[in-house]
Amino acid sequence: MAETPLQLQIRFFAVLREQAGCSILKLATTARTPAELYAELQKSHALTFPANLLRVSVNERYGEMQTPLTTGDRIVFIPPVAGG
Amino acid sequence: MFELTATPIDPADRARRLAAPEAGAAVIFEGRVRNHHLGQPVTHLEYEAFDALAQAEGEAIITETEQLYTGTHVHCVHRTGSLQIGEVAIWIGVASAHRAAGFAACRHVIEEIKRRLPVWKKEHHPDVAAEWVNCTTEAATNLTLSAYHTRHASLPEVGAAGQAKLTAARVLVVGVGGLGCPAALYLTGAGIGQLTLVDGGHVELSNLHRQLLFTLAEVGAPKVLAAAARLRLQHPAIEIKTHQGDLTATNARALVAGHDVVLDCTDNFTSRFILHDACQALGLPLISAAVHRFEGTLDVFQRGTGGCLHCLWAGRTASELEPQENCAGGPVFGPAVGVLGVMQAAETLKLILGLAGASAQQTRLVNLLDGSALTIERLARPDCPVCRRLDQLPAPATAQPSERETIWINDAQLAALGPTAKIIFLLEPGEMAPSTGRSNFLAIPAHDLAALREFVATGPVALSCRHGLRSAALARLLRAEGGPEIYALKAAPDQS
Ligand SMILES: [Zn+2]
Repeated sequence: MAETPLQLQIRFFAVLREQAGCSILKLATTARTPAELYAELQKSHALTFPANLLRVSVNERYGEMQTPLTTGDRIVFIPPVAGG
Repeated sequence: MFELTATPIDPADRARRLAAPEAGAAVIFEGRVRNHHLGQPVTHLEYEAFDALAQAEGEAIITETEQLYTGTHVHCVHRTGSLQIGEVAIWIGVASAHRAAGFAACRHVIEEIKRRLPVWKKEHHPDVAAEWVNCTTEAATNLTLSAYHTRHASLPEVGAAGQAKLTAARVLVVGVGGLGCPAALYLTGAGIGQLTLVDGGHVELSNLHRQLLFTLAEVGAPKVLAAAARLRLQHPAIEIKTHQGDLTATNARALVAGHDVVLDCTDNFTSRFILHDACQALGLPLISAAVHRFEGTLDVFQRGTGGCLHCLWAGRTASELEPQENCAGGPVFGPAVGVLGVMQAAETLKLILGLAGASAQQTRLVNLLDGSALTIERLARPDCPVCRRLDQLPAPATAQPSERETIWINDAQLAALGPTAKIIFLLEPGEMAPSTGRSNFLAIPAHDLAALREFVATGPVALSCRHGLRSAALARLLRAEGGPEIYALKAAPDQS
């Protein structure tokens, strides 16, 4: 039996926003963790930034790439930023 | 070239000597004796310079100015002795290839002379007894009486008490670039008492679009010197210290110590981790910002509250995190660093004033393209080795203003420094030494710097003099040379 897709809101920051070509994306996905979601987005949006250097926020709180997602979650992928 | 002279200055002759074939611009400033001061009529005045010190300080100002404004050549003559109304008291001439640097250098010399040169003046008024006034003290205190801060202090959240907290605060800004320039400018405007700037870089043309403390005239100059000069024009009463060099693992703790709040305006993770670790170790709040093109992040790190920088990046190292595109040449939207730098200044002021602000448990993400701002909760990781180690340290002690280094000392405090503590009375030309009957009391000519340095090396010394002006100025200068146990005595020693 196919899993029910999750409805998620994704926000891209800095270099990821440039690669994705948008700030906010709403999608239905079978991904169940930020790690799975990012792997999916890497393919669909040609994101080259390595997953192991990302921080992720789930519903305005830092989470882990393995944090389980539920429908309606707001996800932000945050790469390191250093300019000044 | 710097010169002190007791004979009248001939401006025409000085201007002729300034001429140089390679100089496309000559900028001249004449400071003249005017017939009024602070609402009082003035009939004439006298200048007295502490010759050896004034000469050395004058030369240092010229050297620094020529370094700050490349391609300038500075002549400066300062009068001593009795001057009539309209006479030239100071003459400054700058020969330079281009006018911008010439004007800027000329302005810089007169501002630094007013601020630093150990010169005393005695204004003669028709009805009031004349007094010697230290010109540098006068330059610094005139402003405190003005209405500079009333629009800020009239905020109920600030008030006179809040403004006093700002005046007592010492803030360190590491990195004087796109973030550091606006941050330092707003901290200066707010009347932060002491601002320390750290940066090893030089002003570059390709950075002027976002480093708005600098102009074309300063291209090539050390950033901390150019920034300090600009900030002093904004608020002459603020003490601005500079460290012309990079923050390193070796010097970080020493640079951070002695401040109340630290701003991370660096452009790389290596410096950020070093600065963060020094602040955490000393228990100082760090307000950190970083920008990528149109977007930026703001974090406040405070030991024991929320997660630290290591919690945030979960053990990833600075070199792993360092973006490919960093500030040394990467594209940057000027207003993005402007907004984030001003936000850093705002967080700093709120911390000092004790206002609720960005707590030390949040990251702010700011996007200037779509105007969005997002706040993300940042928690400590229970397994963070850095936080766990810091938890075992005793709570950091914050120094009270009264405990901070002071130049003034009284008899009782001097006695507490031990039996070797001496009072040295500085004799002006023709002055007799007062007799005190005290065994630790010596009198030496004020101009004998070599003898003074010898005494300073032997143990604690408190300088004293007739007006209490030279003693304080000299104590500061000798302390700046590296004599920590030198003070100025608050009252003249009792005469028996
Ligand atoms: Zn930590």
